[in-house]
Amino acid sequence: MIGFRHVSLTLGDFALQDVSFTINEGDYYVIIGPSGAGKTVILEMIAGLHLPDEGEILIHGRDASGVPPEKRRIALVYQDYSLFPHMTVEKNIGFGLAMQKRPKEEIDRRIRELLRTFGLESFRDRFPGTMSGGEQQRVAIARALASEPEILLLDEPFAALDPITRERLIADLRRVHRETGLTIVQVTHAREELLRMATRCAVVLDGRLVQEGPANQVFETPESTAVARFVGMENILNGVVAANADGLASIDIQGRSIVAVSDACPGTAADVVFRAADVTLHVRDGEESTARNRFGAVITAVVSFGGPLTEVYLNAGFPIVALVTRQSAEDCDLAPGMSVLASIKASAIRVIPESA
Amino acid sequence: MAQTLVLRDRCLVSFSLLGGVILGLTVLALLNLTVKELADIPHVVQVAADAKVIDSIVLTMGAGANAVAILMIFGVPLAYVLARTNFRGKGLVETIVDIPLMLPHTVAGLLVYMLFMKRGLIGAPFYNIGFHFEDAYPGIVIAMLFVASPYFVNSAREGFEKVPVHLENVARTLGASRFSAFRHIVLPLSARDIYNGMIFAWGRAIGEFAAIIMIAYYPMVISTLIYYRFTTSGIKESSTVAFVMIIACFAVFMTLRYLSRFIGRHDDRV
Repeated sequence: MIGFRHVSLTLGDFALQDVSFTINEGDYYVIIGPSGAGKTVILEMIAGLHLPDEGEILIHGRDASGVPPEKRRIALVYQDYSLFPHMTVEKNIGFGLAMQKRPKEEIDRRIRELLRTFGLESFRDRFPGTMSGGEQQRVAIARALASEPEILLLDEPFAALDPITRERLIADLRRVHRETGLTIVQVTHAREELLRMATRCAVVLDGRLVQEGPANQVFETPESTAVARFVGMENILNGVVAANADGLASIDIQGRSIVAVSDACPGTAADVVFRAADVTLHVRDGEESTARNRFGAVITAVVSFGGPLTEVYLNAGFPIVALVTRQSAEDCDLAPGMSVLASIKASAIRVIPESA
Repeated sequence: MAQTLVLRDRCLVSFSLLGGVILGLTVLALLNLTVKELADIPHVVQVAADAKVIDSIVLTMGAGANAVAILMIFGVPLAYVLARTNFRGKGLVETIVDIPLMLPHTVAGLLVYMLFMKRGLIGAPFYNIGFHFEDAYPGIVIAMLFVASPYFVNSAREGFEKVPVHLENVARTLGASRFSAFRHIVLPLSARDIYNGMIFAWGRAIGEFAAIIMIAYYPMVISTLIYYRFTTSGIKESSTVAFVMIIACFAVFMTLRYLSRFIGRHDDRV
């Protein structure tokens, strides 16, 4: 439906370089990356607000460069809501339909429908300046949906909202996506949103698209250390592949060996990445474990954020971060200086050769 | 802020005293003239009723308004382009916009005269079809337009720049062409700055003297009339005309300022 083919664009100091991806009809496509990576520019390019310096943007398989934003049927919602401050909620929502010169009865009916869907009936005659962030965001999304676009672009839609409002909006969006089959492209720097909403996703770092694919695949099998760091792999260790037997590689890390499922060749420098949640801690000796990797380690710090989980920092000759429930941390009296056994399954570890 | 608080703030008090010097100068000059004029009220009434004086004031204000109307047609597009685009040589274009601001008024007058005189580059073809700039109303309007243009263009541009480009982008994705987005979003949201630009430009146009007399000594705008009376009849005659003009200007600009309250009002907390 939307295709970027080797798209490059320079805007002042910022450059988007050789970006290619495809978004299919009905996708909930999430573009993640840190602030300033070029995510918003990609959305604005889909909307037709910037044309590429090089490469091609296809919509429905055809080059879109000659199609101005107003003819693309692609709606855009910015993080700052961008409601028209001189118009009431009603006029804001009806703006697109009025621009398309639809009959007045149709406009009125559609506005009523959307006000009801988003619980905004009582705000009909209010001006945006008098409303809260969450209310404004709902108006912005209602306005975007009013003229029934084929694609909805969302720029960090939840960033400025409190948790309760965010949950409600996420529920609204999921319903819209499910009921209308609308293609949604969302930009975010928050990983949690990605896991919950996305069908496919792309990681953008520094103006380049570094990985693209089904969301859980990108999340579980990052192809580079930078992506691993960004999708929240807490443990990233540098080592060298010492041996590989039938797809089971042992990687030498500061004198100790980690075994992982990988086809990396012996002799290559590689990063070993795994999630803190995949590390199991054993306090008593001789506890059974089927994990291939077992390391004696000393706890260096125990950090609790007040939630149900506690982070445990370990020294096993190299640093490891583990995640345990707060309950078990308390039951086992985990404290700095304590010796424990840390185990990690070979299948939970990802090996990324240095060149990637 | 409560008044007592302001009085306790030493920084604000000293700033007010320093700033008061400027206000004081204007107030003193006006009072000085007013006191002298009020000593002979019948004379003021007689001058105010003088057809020549009335015609001249109407001519000055009318030509100024005419210049502003033309500025709107050409200045709004220029201001929008300057606000929304970046191009090579933009700095040069901006300098050109500001030139009339920096030039001595006689130089501005000379530039306008050489272009619009009977044998001028633009004046000549118009002269041939019977349209005169020299010593005629169009000459006054052109001179006013030239000196007032930077005030209008810069003010309108500032207004356009204040409208977030995101609003325009959203309007376009909702189906508005660039011109529709300009008309429905940008223009209403910058109405106040455009209005202020119109007032500045008009005020500047009304106040022009040197540039106007070089191309059109006649018909006499108010500055020319005052200068003429000053050189032929002395200070008493000219100062009374000046007094009448001050009152007219004061009334008009107070009204315009008051009206600006109702223009482009919206809650911009968004």
